Amino acid sequence: MSGKRIWNWRVTAGFAALLALALLLAVSLGPINLGFPAVLRTLLGSRDALSPIDQTVLLQIRLPRVILAGLVGAALATSGAVYQTVFRNPLADPYLLGIAAGAGLGATVAFVLGGASVGLLPLFAFVGGIAAVLVTFVVAGARRSDPRTLLLSGVAVGSFATAAQTYLFQSHTQVLRTVYSWILGQLVVSDWPTVAWTAGYLAVALGVLFAISRRLDGLLLSDEEAYSLGLKPARLRALAIAAATLATATAVAAGGLIGFVGLVIPHLIRGLLQRATNRALPTIALAGATFLILADLGARTLVSPAELPIGVITAFVGAPFFLYVLRRGGRQ
Amino acid sequence: MRTFNKLFAAALVAAIAITPFATDAASAKPVVGAAASKSLAQASSKKPAKAPVRIISLSPSATEILWGIGAAKQVAAVDDNSNFPAGVPTSKLSSFTPNVEAIAAYNPDLVILQANATKATEVQAALKKLGIAVYLEQTPNNTAGAYTEFQQLGALTGHASQASRLVATMRKQIKGIVSLFAAPHIRVFHELDNTLYSAASKTFIGAVYKDFGVTNIADAASGADKTGYPQLSAEYLIKANPQVVVLADGDWGETKATVSERAGWSAIDAVKNGKVFTIGSDISSRWGPRLVDLYRAVGNIIAKVN
Repeated sequence: MSGKRIWNWRVTAGFAALLALALLLAVSLGPINLGFPAVLRTLLGSRDALSPIDQTVLLQIRLPRVILAGLVGAALATSGAVYQTVFRNPLADPYLLGIAAGAGLGATVAFVLGGASVGLLPLFAFVGGIAAVLVTFVVAGARRSDPRTLLLSGVAVGSFATAAQTYLFQSHTQVLRTVYSWILGQLVVSDWPTVAWTAGYLAVALGVLFAISRRLDGLLLSDEEAYSLGLKPARLRALAIAAATLATATAVAAGGLIGFVGLVIPHLIRGLLQRATNRALPTIALAGATFLILADLGARTLVSPAELPIGVITAFVGAPFFLYVLRRGGRQ
Repeated sequence: MRTFNKLFAAALVAAIAITPFATDAASAKPVVGAAASKSLAQASSKKPAKAPVRIISLSPSATEILWGIGAAKQVAAVDDNSNFPAGVPTSKLSSFTPNVEAIAAYNPDLVILQANATKATEVQAALKKLGIAVYLEQTPNNTAGAYTEFQQLGALTGHASQASRLVATMRKQIKGIVSLFAAPHIRVFHELDNTLYSAASKTFIGAVYKDFGVTNIADAASGADKTGYPQLSAEYLIKANPQVVVLADGDWGETKATVSERAGWSAIDAVKNGKVFTIGSDISSRWGPRLVDLYRAVGNIIAKVN
């Protein structure tokens, strides 16, 4: 009831502005110093502000990578927030639930079968992810709101998927190198086709999640209460899990395994809003995009001209935060 | 606890991920186990009292060296990646994840173990407990380091003079190739995989390019990886504008065509001028007698650019 009052469009606008700033910063900085005015003029359409090779660096290498980082961040943060609601568990996260490991297994199968085309990879990852989340969900059963049960089944499912993946590695050493590099993050070689496919899948997944975001709050209640509000909790839950898993799978296919975004960002935003409402989903998406764009900026500049795995940066920020949430007792 | 697992998993993944390229830059000198150094000492002082006759090589490079120095008949089994020369006794033994029991089942008297294999020191200790001598093979960071291994394996197996002769021949051949093709002021990118891992001059692959005097664009990033195998930023690579791209990942499907389709790569001189070449992944990742072939291959590539 107090949701409307506490909810404030200004917060969303503020995060949109923050994202715009992060975008500008990220396209301006990199291993190659292009100069801010020239970058700005090139982005606004000028074709003689930069030398041809610098223009290539900006438009073919840096820009698609920054945008892909934003898309992946938005997907991970949003799906994390939705899992937390669906499982009524503040520690739910695509990684801790084993969903990302399942998606990784699906993608590895795609690599092994040789079907790892940029458009199909998310679908393979989706099949693996949905299988993992179903198993986690079923195993945790009625006690899925108990953080211990859910996390333990997530750990088991994730370990199983990782074991299967490792077995595939061992028996298909010719794809080993590709897959290992991909696990640590694929953002290193982003291009426009990857951006287009990722944006396409996410338009569907995030579109669904934003559309049902208001109803998702009903899932925090007991099923009886949800029914009394006119909701169909089972169907709503299934739809939410499917869409969130598609978002996770797309993110994993595009960016490899990048942990903790889905945990840190939703808690940060909900903490700011002092409410667990899912009306914050678009804001969470904006914040996730901002966070990953900045993390990726670190990945490509901290040891320039070499690369740092982006998962190292997100875990460095995310792991202490996770401990903090754990310490607080996992209350929403 | 889960966080710990997560971090541990992350560290593990990171460790595994670099394994295919992992080397120890700290020392080029192979470390020899106690039992092995004893026979090494014997070998250098007098005629080898008892040269090993059931050697297991868990390194494709060492396998090629053993064949080169004439120790082939003393080898009982080689690892699953050893595939040269033709007829080597390839087994299911893994070089990356050695299994003590599986190794012991062959009843070997000398095991050549890569220092960057999983738990190499533990495996070494376990084998020594079983009375099996171990030669811990370090990845060399230049040709001289490779020659050291030739000499040590020669001494260990009773083929010291053959090893010395082979090294002398290789030295001469390589010197000839380098003098024929030496070409400074060419910028080269040596690609290990399609996420732009490369080899800087402090690795044995990079040292080959260094011998030719070319500029290795990975050197600018070599500080980021102590083993000398950094992952380059795509934008740095475009800006560095290599005149030659050498693909060591041709076996994994990379070709001149796939490279030219990559975002932004059409701006690179090497792609514009068609100077993209593939090099066999085996000869560019092993430091056996075929180092000569590696020098020849790189020399031929340089010749095509001038």
